[in-house]
Amino acid sequence: MSKSPIDRLGERLTRRLAGYSSRRSFLARLGMALSAAPVLPLLPVARASAADAAKTDFERYAQTSDPTKCNYWKYCASDGVLCSCCGGGSHTCPPGAEPSPISWIGTCVHPESGRSYVIAYRDCCGKPMCSAGKSCHCDGADRELPTYRAPLNNDIIWCFGKASATYHCSTAALLGVADTARK
Amino acid sequence: MILGPLGSAYLGAQTPAAAFSAPQRDYILACAGCHGLHGVSNSSLVPSLQGRVGYFLDLPEGRAYLSRLPNVAFSTLSDEQLAGVLNYMVFEIGAGSAPAGARPYAAAEIRRWRSEPLTEVTLSAYRRQLVETLISRYRAPVSLRGYGGDAR
Repeated sequence: MSKSPIDRLGERLTRRLAGYSSRRSFLARLGMALSAAPVLPLLPVARASAADAAKTDFERYAQTSDPTKCNYWKYCASDGVLCSCCGGGSHTCPPGAEPSPISWIGTCVHPESGRSYVIAYRDCCGKPMCSAGKSCHCDGADRELPTYRAPLNNDIIWCFGKASATYHCSTAALLGVADTARK
Repeated sequence: MILGPLGSAYLGAQTPAAAFSAPQRDYILACAGCHGLHGVSNSSLVPSLQGRVGYFLDLPEGRAYLSRLPNVAFSTLSDEQLAGVLNYMVFEIGAGSAPAGARPYAAAEIRRWRSEPLTEVTLSAYRRQLVETLISRYRAPVSLRGYGGDAR
């Protein structure tokens, strides 16, 4: 009985696989992976638990996927309505609103890398306050200082100096790395 | 490696995350919100620094003035850090405006001047007086009378 084309293909593949690989090399690789496994996953876990004590409440619950939520990592000191709920983005103004000429600048920790990033908190101005749902009204306060330290305060409406000082919403623009990774 | 995913997924259209020198980072955190990342203020209320702040170093009082300004003197930075920020501001952001051979600020000098902040003077008048001297007797351009910001 002659072999079917599928049988012939199967036989050819099996023979080729056997020619390339050996059980010994497979076992060697498996052994290496098993002995390395206990070491590798420990590093980030151990580092995370040590860093946990130094985290702010915001940092403990920060996420990196949804910029329309107050716990998005860049909003650690955002006080106001998120522009990303108002037709803008996490760092862009909605159409018709202009970024404030001045802002205050702080830092937020990225939850996955553990690194600290420089964030410019700019208001968007020139339109009446955006009427977004309650979940878009945020009050992050990491490393914010009281009003008498105005340059580091987020209660101030930074729209002053513009033709219209009307506050519309808040953005958080990432400017760069502030620090090396936390140990 | 760490910046890879940040650069693409989180930044979107923004420029990739930059790394800063310590004085540059301190400048950005403490000053750039109003004076601009590169010393170009975009508000008529805030003086621009780029290519002009160094003119103040022509006068000893002008040199002191920069470190006695309330937000400089009252900064949360240490004397060493503050000296670094002022040097970054004068010699890098203000490049070309400081007199030839001007000494960089030292921490001891900052310690002295920040203990005498300009709180008992009318600040705008004090600046005007300094600027007039810098224009009439030194090299400062008449544009230093204004803040050089975008007056839109």
